[in-house]
Amino acid sequence: MSPLQLYQLVALFLLCIGLYGLIWRRSLVGMLICVELMLNGAGLSIVAACQLTPANAVLGQLGTLLVMGLAAAEATLVLAIVYVVTRRFKTSESIIVSEMKR
Amino acid sequence: MEIIAKIAFWFYTLIVVGGALMAAVEASLVRSLVGLVAAMFGVAGLYMLMDAPFIAFMQVLIYVGGVSVLIFFAIMLTRAAPTGDEAMHRPLRKRINAIFAMLVPALVLSVAIVQHLPKGDALPADVPLTDLGRGLMGPYLLNFELISVVLFVAMAGAVMLAWRQWGKK
Repeated sequence: MSPLQLYQLVALFLLCIGLYGLIWRRSLVGMLICVELMLNGAGLSIVAACQLTPANAVLGQLGTLLVMGLAAAEATLVLAIVYVVTRRFKTSESIIVSEMKR
Repeated sequence: MEIIAKIAFWFYTLIVVGGALMAAVEASLVRSLVGLVAAMFGVAGLYMLMDAPFIAFMQVLIYVGGVSVLIFFAIMLTRAAPTGDEAMHRPLRKRINAIFAMLVPALVLSVAIVQHLPKGDALPADVPLTDLGRGLMGPYLLNFELISVVLFVAMAGAVMLAWRQWGKK
């Protein structure tokens, strides 16, 4: 297998294990961790696709940088949401929160 | 790939796989976070191996230095105990759902990767740091500014969300 395929397979593994965990987790923080795993896989896939093919490498690297920035923004917002939900529902378990009433 | 590059690739891949598995299925959220940090370091190593050191350092700075601290704060704020709701029993349907959610993209995309991906270069492209800087200040200036606006709005929104007294009159 070529290096490009191997890198993409690692990225695919990160996506799949993130999806598995996203369904499997019961708490909001655990779900956030799995989303971060998937975003890591996305960045790895983008960089592999731009570094190992004749595509524009600058565009790929900067795109990954933007993905990281968005991940940081998303983590900040999720932190605030988890804080509010925990204060309001006294738990961060997604089953209880998804009933949308206290 | 040279032999050392192969060894390094499998070493980093081992770290990524182990860390990701730990992050996804570990019952204690703190251990899960440790697994996430390990997986992020492994991905940073893979970036290094792909001759993208700038992205690797950004990965360490933003993810390992920033996002993991945020997640750690979230764990502390929710007072997640190791014997809490993550450790409780789950119905069989949930396990089946999770496995299907994993298997469908895994099958489709792995077939696509193995059979239809172009061969690719053996050596990664060499991008000097000045090119990245010129890209950020030149053709991708708008994206660069927009991401700062998005970050600012997210931070301000987070502060406002946490500051407001929800549910209290």
